[in-house]
Amino acid sequence: MLLSGGVKLIEDILRAAKHVADEAEVFYAQSESIAADLKQDNIAIGGKSKGSGIIIRIIKDGKIGVSCTDNPKTWKNCLDAACASARFSDPLPWKGLPGAEDIDQKPLALDKRVNTDPALVTDLISRLKTGAETYAADITSGSASVAISEHTIANSNGLLYSTTGTQVHVSLEMIAGQSTGYESDTSWNLDAIDPEKTGKEASFFASQGQGGKEIETGIYDVVLSPMAISQLLDAAVIPALSGRNVHTGRSVFAGKIGETIAGDKISLIDDPMDARGVANCAWDGEGMPVRKNSFIENGVLRSFAYDLRTAYRYGENPTASAVRTGQSGAPAIGNHNLILKGPESDILSEKAIYVHDLIGAHTANPMSGDFSVELSSPFFAYDGGLHEPIRTGMISGNIFDILHKIQGCSTDTRTLGSTIVPSVRLSNITVIGRG
Amino acid sequence: MSAPYRYYDVRRVTGEVTQIDVDNGRVEQAGSSFFDKAVIRVLGDKGWGILSVSGEEAEFESLPESFIQEAYAASQVTNIVIPFRETPSSLHAVPAMKENPADVSLDEKVSILLDMYKATEGQDIVSRRINYIEKDEKVFFSDCLGHSYTYHLCRCGFSVLAVASRAGVVQMGYERDHTISGLNIRHRQDLAREATDRAQKLLDAKPAKGGVMRAILDPELAGVFAHEAVGHASEGDLVKEGSSILKGKINEQIGSTLLTIVDDPSLPEFGFCPVDDEGTETKRTEIIQKGVLSAYLHSKETLASVGDGIAGHCRGMPGVEPIVRMSNTFIENGDSTYDEIISECKSGILLKGSRGGQVDPGRGMFQFNAEYGFLIENGECTTMVRDVSLSGEILQTLHTISLIGNDLALHPGYCGKGGQTVPVTDGSPHLLLDNAVVGGCEID
Repeated sequence: MLLSGGVKLIEDILRAAKHVADEAEVFYAQSESIAADLKQDNIAIGGKSKGSGIIIRIIKDGKIGVSCTDNPKTWKNCLDAACASARFSDPLPWKGLPGAEDIDQKPLALDKRVNTDPALVTDLISRLKTGAETYAADITSGSASVAISEHTIANSNGLLYSTTGTQVHVSLEMIAGQSTGYESDTSWNLDAIDPEKTGKEASFFASQGQGGKEIETGIYDVVLSPMAISQLLDAAVIPALSGRNVHTGRSVFAGKIGETIAGDKISLIDDPMDARGVANCAWDGEGMPVRKNSFIENGVLRSFAYDLRTAYRYGENPTASAVRTGQSGAPAIGNHNLILKGPESDILSEKAIYVHDLIGAHTANPMSGDFSVELSSPFFAYDGGLHEPIRTGMISGNIFDILHKIQGCSTDTRTLGSTIVPSVRLSNITVIGRG
Repeated sequence: MSAPYRYYDVRRVTGEVTQIDVDNGRVEQAGSSFFDKAVIRVLGDKGWGILSVSGEEAEFESLPESFIQEAYAASQVTNIVIPFRETPSSLHAVPAMKENPADVSLDEKVSILLDMYKATEGQDIVSRRINYIEKDEKVFFSDCLGHSYTYHLCRCGFSVLAVASRAGVVQMGYERDHTISGLNIRHRQDLAREATDRAQKLLDAKPAKGGVMRAILDPELAGVFAHEAVGHASEGDLVKEGSSILKGKINEQIGSTLLTIVDDPSLPEFGFCPVDDEGTETKRTEIIQKGVLSAYLHSKETLASVGDGIAGHCRGMPGVEPIVRMSNTFIENGDSTYDEIISECKSGILLKGSRGGQVDPGRGMFQFNAEYGFLIENGECTTMVRDVSLSGEILQTLHTISLIGNDLALHPGYCGKGGQTVPVTDGSPHLLLDNAVVGGCEID
């Protein structure tokens, strides 16, 4: 898979690094993508992009240095910068980069039918538009894109893993009067993506959200969509599970292993190989074989997430939780497929406020978990469906308390980035109304 | 054969990013990375074709014909004729920096930050972190009309986070400052201490009570209000697509006659654009004048299709096509003093600092969150409260501004739209809002 030029480049870098560092690692990524953007009913923009990047990490005397460049030809500057950066970093009891293991490198998120033929994205767009005709509303903007990417990780211990993956993405925004509807879908697999459904849902929320009434301020049962609950998890719960935050005084979960921190049937598990994942890979951002990590099991806090640096610094076991998503490209603690599980029930049978999306979830307090955010596309739900739209409302509470207030979860789930979540029904939630 | 384009431009940004992370006294990262990205836009016989390249492929002196062909080929999926208007083009000079960060060694920057770190010590403080970022960019722009610009701009800044904990309560204080005027980390212990002080005081602050009440916004939060509630909805692309509540409202009184809101990319603040990212000259744009909607923010395309506004507001991240964006957005001074505003409020809440906000411009709803606040009782500032947010409807809220202060201050930050993040400043004097919807966990 990896072009022979790529292998030679990596070998050159590792050979040069041997003279200046104890250990070295090269992460090399290449990608190509095409996109079509809808503006109202028509495709107004066609896009194509290609790029590559190298991230070099070196370890010398327990000090870590890292640098990246998007021009592989200038790798020598990048190696020099990585070495310079190591001079300043605080030393830690480094126990080594992983060696090569007998990992099956068969791609787990590759659809060989995906290529950069524009017909793929124009087809996705026309399917989005077909779905969007279900309810009366206007398209404001939308997009379809496909990408093919290859990434390789290699280190001075002889590890060299390479894989190729694909990503297909559609999104649509619609409006009817002053009611807006937004939906999106992402998959590695052309068969799993459902643009008709994305279009239908966006048109439903825009069209059926019209004419909503204001509600009274009060305490309500609330059903959060997968999109809404995943935003709240991202804002405070996921950061609190990071080993680095735990050991540096930035997590309310510190010192609570073995304690009950959620309802007794609630679990939060990172399962990198779950079939619903959109970018599964057998190794993590540092080349460690991935594994299942149970952070919360039936309400009890069991473990935290660690990359090598944090595990070595604080004497913990690495959990293969490194991801490469940050600006610098350096590995950092993250998760692969974080799955929220709870008691499954028919969460829309009894009356509740259904919340499709939130405005401002990122403004929650990441330390304390307190939040108050505006509702997007809220409805009264009962008898298994969404009924009267609600005009506006603000939901307030604490994200960590919500882990205790989950009464039930839907059987169907959605994969949103690196989380796999159901819709959840919560009891006793404060909603500020304008009625 | 040359591609039958109507227009093309190319923007290449090459640079270096330096980051330093001091986490609980340890330097976890200190170093630089490099980037070189180019975006080529071609307006074909119908719509746009965009080609993004990076690294070796972006390393050209003059734009290769093959890239124009490739971008033109990408435009072939479009099925609508995009209108386009030529605009005045010129470059504002980039102001000289007081101290160029490039002239200061990494050693020295690290030691300045470690000094600043010492100032964050305090009772109940359990975590302290200082992050420094410096982005040095060289921008090359040229288009098929013969315009060509090169400029160099360095943005740098830092943030300080302090976390306090006592008896199971965890609170944080966060301060930051970003600038285009050169290295800004020397002698900043006061700002670092403020983060610590805030975290400590918030341990004893009460949760806010939600409901409808009078609210005073401090200059930082009122700036976010101007940005979220008005700025985004005035962006020409959203107006064109039909996803702005401000569509069709030019020359209408949409807010208090006290209110004037400006976006000025030519102002040498953190959101400064010497020229916009499609070569248009940048200038002050008054979005709202005395409560009347007077201009939308535009690109060449949205000016041609929507009108009623000023181009020069088109910005993109390196390697990404530019879209209509704000730059330096602020509410102009009124004539009330801070004391008059507090006293006039009588009973309500003063909201201070910003944890950000969001808007749905089509629906006309916005939300933003303050870092902390104080209750106003009998015209006086009393108890400190935490986690206060505010949400509202744009068209209704702009009419509820009853006093505007005379103490305009600008605050640097970043704004996200369409997956792109760009540097901006927001600013305002103190504002008094009647009938604000304030969020909080406690209710009557």
